[in-house]
Amino acid sequence: MSHADVALGLIVLGLSAYLLFGGADFGAGLWHLFARRRTDREVIEHAMGPLWEANHVWLIFVMVMTWTAFPPIFASVMTAHWVPLSLAALGIVARGSTFVFAKAVPDHHVRYGVVFGVSSLLTPFCFGAVATVITTGDGSWLSPAGLYGGALTTALCAYLAAVYLIWDARRLADADAALRFRGYALMSGIVVGVLALPGAALIDVRSPLIIVSAVAGLVSLVLVARQRLLAVRATGALAVVSVLWGAVERAGLDLDGAAAQDTVLEFVFVALGIGAVILVPSMVWLFVLFQRSTEAEAH
Amino acid sequence: MSTAQFLAEGAATPADFVAARQQMAFTLGFHIVLASIGIGLPALTLLAEWRSLRTGDRVYAELARRWMKAAGVLFAVGAVSGTVLSFEMGTLWPGFMDKYGQVFGGAFALEGIAFFIEAIFMGIYLYGWDRLSPRAHFLTGIPVVVAGVLSATFVVTVNSWMNQPRGFNLVNGKVTDVSPLKAMLNPATPTEATHLILASLMVCGFLVASVYAVALLRDARAGRVDRYHRLGFAIPFTLGAVCAPLQVIVGDFASRFVAGHQPAKFAAMEGIEHTQAGVPFKFATIEIPNMLSLMVKFDAHATLRGMDSIPADARPPAEVVKTSFEIMITLGMFLLALAAWWGFAWFVRRRALGRAGRLASRVDLPWKPWFLRLALTAGGAAILAMEAGWTTTEVGRQPWIVYGVMRTTEAVNPSSNLRYGLYAVLAVYAVLAAATISVLRRIRRRPDADASLSGPVPVGSAR
Repeated sequence: MSHADVALGLIVLGLSAYLLFGGADFGAGLWHLFARRRTDREVIEHAMGPLWEANHVWLIFVMVMTWTAFPPIFASVMTAHWVPLSLAALGIVARGSTFVFAKAVPDHHVRYGVVFGVSSLLTPFCFGAVATVITTGDGSWLSPAGLYGGALTTALCAYLAAVYLIWDARRLADADAALRFRGYALMSGIVVGVLALPGAALIDVRSPLIIVSAVAGLVSLVLVARQRLLAVRATGALAVVSVLWGAVERAGLDLDGAAAQDTVLEFVFVALGIGAVILVPSMVWLFVLFQRSTEAEAH
Repeated sequence: MSTAQFLAEGAATPADFVAARQQMAFTLGFHIVLASIGIGLPALTLLAEWRSLRTGDRVYAELARRWMKAAGVLFAVGAVSGTVLSFEMGTLWPGFMDKYGQVFGGAFALEGIAFFIEAIFMGIYLYGWDRLSPRAHFLTGIPVVVAGVLSATFVVTVNSWMNQPRGFNLVNGKVTDVSPLKAMLNPATPTEATHLILASLMVCGFLVASVYAVALLRDARAGRVDRYHRLGFAIPFTLGAVCAPLQVIVGDFASRFVAGHQPAKFAAMEGIEHTQAGVPFKFATIEIPNMLSLMVKFDAHATLRGMDSIPADARPPAEVVKTSFEIMITLGMFLLALAAWWGFAWFVRRRALGRAGRLASRVDLPWKPWFLRLALTAGGAAILAMEAGWTTTEVGRQPWIVYGVMRTTEAVNPSSNLRYGLYAVLAVYAVLAAATISVLRRIRRRPDADASLSGPVPVGSAR
C-alpha cells in the first residue's frame, strides 16, 4: 500500500465522519424546518448541542488533507466547482451562526429558524451535487446527475438524522417525539431507498457496496420498526456511508500522478498520529460529558 | 481538464482578479478579528475564573461567566468564517494550491489538529460549566488557550512562508525536495507569529475594555461606580497595556527583518523612492535626517534600497502600503500612550497604598472621564491597527503570492464570474456581522444579569 493510498484512506475516513456526524446535523436542520411541534424542535436543538463545532473540523480535515496530499486534484475540483462549493461554504456560515445565535438568545428563535433550516438543505445539496459530478465525470452541478446527487445526499442526511434523533428523543424522556422521529425515519428511509437504487443503476454503479447499502437499509427499517434504537444507529450509518464509499470507488481518481511527495505525507501521518493520541480521549470525554444530563438544561 | 491547462487557457479578467483579492482580504480581515478574540477572550475568562476560585469573589465569577458566553458565540462565528477561508484557498487561488499546496500543507495539518483540540475543549469548557467541579472546569480552559495560540502560530507560518518561501526546490517548474518543517521554520516566522499573537491579545483586551468603558462613563453620570464594571475594564485593559510596549519591540524587529529580506515591501512602507545613504525618517510633516538608516542598520550613513532598485513589474502599490503602515504606527503609539498612563497610574496608586493594597482597590485611580473616553476608542483603534498591519504585510508582498516565486495573477481562479462571489460574500457577511453584534448586545443586557449579582454565584453552579 503506497503513501497515496493511506492518504486517500484518511480522506475517505474524514469524509465518512463528516457525512455521519455533520450529515446528521444537516438532516436535523431539515427536520427542524419541517417539524410542526415545538417539542420536536427542542429535541433537535438539544441533540445538536456542543458537537457541531467539532463536526466542521472533519470538513476542514478533508480539505487540508486533499490539498496537501493531492494538490492538483484539490485545485481542479475547486476551480471547476467553485460556485456550488462557495454556496456550500456560505450555507455553513449561515447555519452555524444562526444555530449558535438562537442558543445564545433564546427569545429570538423564530427569526433564525428559517435561515438555519434552509441553509441546512443548501449545504448538503451542493456537496452531494459536486461529489456526484466528480464521480460520474459529468460537467456541471446543475446537470441531471448533479441534481440527483444533491437530492440523494440531502435525503441521506435527513434519514441519518431521523434515525439518530429517535434515540435522543427517548433519552430526553419524550416518548411522543420519539414516536414521531420513528415515523420520519421510516418515511425517509423508504424515500432514500426508492431514490438510491434506480439511480445507482442509471449511473452504472457495479459495486458490491450497493448491496451492502441496500441490505443495511432494509435491516435498519426492520430495526426501527422493532425499536432497536442503538443497533439501528449502526446499520443506518452503514447504509449511508457505503454510498459514499461506492462513489469514491467509482470515481477512479489518478492518485499516484497527483500525490504529494512521500516526505510530506509522512510528516502529515506523524502529525495526525500524535494528534489522535490527544484528540480521541478528549472527544470521548466531550461525548460522555454531554450525554450526562443536568437539571439545568433538562428544560 | 487539469488545473494547469485550465489556468493557461483563460486568465481572469482584471476586474475578477481584483474581486478575488478583495474577497480574500475581506474574509480574512473579518476572520482575523474573531480569531483574535478567540485567543484573547478565553485567556481573560480564565484569568477571571482563577481570581474567583482564589478569592471566592462573585464579581469575578460573573465576569468569567459573561465572557465565556461571548467567547462561545464568537468562537462559533470564527469557526465558520475560518471554514470559508479554507474553501477560498481553493476557489480563489487554485494555481497556488495546485503547485504549493503540499509545501505548506503540513502546517495546516498541524493547525487543524490544534483547532480541533481547541474546539473540543471549548465544548467541554462551555458545557462543563454545570457538570464539572470548579477546579476541573478551570483546568479544561487551559487547553483552549494553549491550542488557540498554537493554531494561530501554525497559520501564521503559512503566511510567513509566503513572504519567505523555503523548504522546496523548483526543478523545471516542478516542486521537489519538499520539507514541511523547513517551510514552517522560515526566517519570517518568529517575528510574524509573535507580532500577530500580541496584536490579537491587544485587540481582545482593548475591545473588551471599551465595552466596560461605556458602562463606566454611564456609571459616572449616574453618580455610582460599579465594581463589576471597574474590574471588567481593569482586567482586559491591563492585558492590552502589558502587550502594547512588547508589541513595539517586536514590531521594530519585524520591520528590520523586512528591510533585510523584502526590500520592495520596506521601501513601500517607508516611502523610500531612491536607493540612498543616510535616509531620513519621515512621518507626516516630521523629518529627521539620517534617522531611518540609524534605526534600521544602527548606522546613520547606511544605504537603504529604494523603490527604483526594484523592477517596475515587481513593485507593490506603494501608496497603500505606506498609508496602512503609518496608520498602524500612529494607532500603536496612541495605544502605547494609554498603556503608559495606565501603568503610571497603577504605580502611583500602589505606592500610595503600600504592598497590602489589593488589585480591587488599587484600580481606583485612572477613572477620569477623559481617560475613559480615550479608552473607549482603544478597541476600535486596536482592530484598525491590526487590519492596517495586515494590509501592510499582504499588499507589500504584491505582486507575488509566494515572494519572488509565484505571482498572484498566476494563482487566481480563471473564471470570469468571480466578482459575483465577492458580492455574495459581502452580503452574507454584512448580515452576519449585524446579527453577531445584535446577539452580543443582547447577551450584555440579559435582565437576569444584575439579579444574579445579588445572590452568591459560585463558578460551578447552574444559572
